[in-house]
Amino acid sequence: MLIKNIEALILASDEPLSFDKLRTLLEPVESSDVRDALNTLEHHYAERGIQLKQVAGGWQFRTAPACANIVEQLWQTRPSRLSRAMLETLAIIAYQQPTTRAEIEVLRGIKVSSSIIGGLLERGWVKVLGRKDVPGRPHLYGTNKQFLADFGLKSLQDLPDSSQLMDATQQEKLELPEPNQITEYTHHEQEA
Amino acid sequence: MQGLGIPEAAENNAKQQMFAGMETALPLLPPVHLDAFEGPLDILLHLIRKQKMDIFDIPMAIITSQYLSIIDSNKDLDVDVAGEYLVMASTLMQLKSRMLLPRQEVDEEGNEIDPRDALIAQLIAYEHYRMLAEELDEFPRMQRDVFKRAIFPESEDVERPLPEADLDALLAAFGQVLKRMESEVLYRVVLESMTVREQIQFVTESLQHGSMPFHELLRGQQSREALVTTFLAILELWRQHVIQVIQTQHNASITLLLSISNQQSEVQA
Repeated sequence: MLIKNIEALILASDEPLSFDKLRTLLEPVESSDVRDALNTLEHHYAERGIQLKQVAGGWQFRTAPACANIVEQLWQTRPSRLSRAMLETLAIIAYQQPTTRAEIEVLRGIKVSSSIIGGLLERGWVKVLGRKDVPGRPHLYGTNKQFLADFGLKSLQDLPDSSQLMDATQQEKLELPEPNQITEYTHHEQEA
Repeated sequence: MQGLGIPEAAENNAKQQMFAGMETALPLLPPVHLDAFEGPLDILLHLIRKQKMDIFDIPMAIITSQYLSIIDSNKDLDVDVAGEYLVMASTLMQLKSRMLLPRQEVDEEGNEIDPRDALIAQLIAYEHYRMLAEELDEFPRMQRDVFKRAIFPESEDVERPLPEADLDALLAAFGQVLKRMESEVLYRVVLESMTVREQIQFVTESLQHGSMPFHELLRGQQSREALVTTFLAILELWRQHVIQVIQTQHNASITLLLSISNQQSEVQA
């Protein structure tokens, strides 16, 4: 019954359903039982057209990527492609957060237009975390929960390991400006 | 480079310097358009990787002239964008000349300094994020590769829980109202005697008969000032828990309604 209940709750929820919320709703229940049930369900759906995924700190049913082409035909519009400028800016914000526009410009070697930042804000992937205490008090940007949900990430730790992308010799030869450690503060922000 | 507004004489002079000693055979590259690139670093990486050069030992003379010829063949450069490309051009020329110095530059400890180090670090860092961006693009993305269940049809009989919207959502919705407003013809109201207090009255009265979508509540407001005042009133009421701000789903429309305790007290009063 527990499996059925969990399945029903996740399907009926509009947002990814967090583990804590699930456990509270199913009270009285052992955390380990909920975890086992989720595992069972995840495996059960692994090869189906619907998958159970852990995203943005919660559980959600979503269609399998392999079915994208057919599902798309339900609607007339095709999703817009993201420009390289937007993706690069998003990647820098994701790994360097909290970061300012000026810092992004240094890394990209070119101006970051307001429309790029605006586009990311509008999609809800990025938000203003505060202001940096330097002259001009520029905005500090970080990723939003929507970013995790839309890119299918459990948490920021789920981003590809940035160090693996470079080969070892390149790393030895150079002291790179390391991406900031993602701080507790921003992580909490995501979970909240 | 006329498009960049550089005086003719200075330009010719610069060109002579740029191409001094460049008559020697240069690898010919297919013409490229700047639109294909995300800035000077992107161009340099393209040149380096395409020709399989060692990024830690960039042949400055070759790279500099190739870079300059790409910039030169894109005369219609937008002045806004041109700046960064020109700064890089001067950096490259400076590095090229420093590489020609007979004596090596050394730091305090006597180690040789490669003038190219800073540029190399910049290139590698950028290439790094360029790869991360590509990786990110390959993640199964909501609405492109994966889809979630659409909302169940609303039923009158079902009482759904009311999820509270957060401030971000309310601000985003307000931004949209302002944007929509810009496209409409505005009449300038010379004297605006509207106060937040009055708008608080207006909002609570509007909500007396039940909930109301956020954008509808703002629809009647004629000027930007009125919009902002009303928005401030909404924020104030929300803060005092007089109203509830409800958003059923991310990016869904926002609904305002009086808090239950308040509805009763208003009725009594």
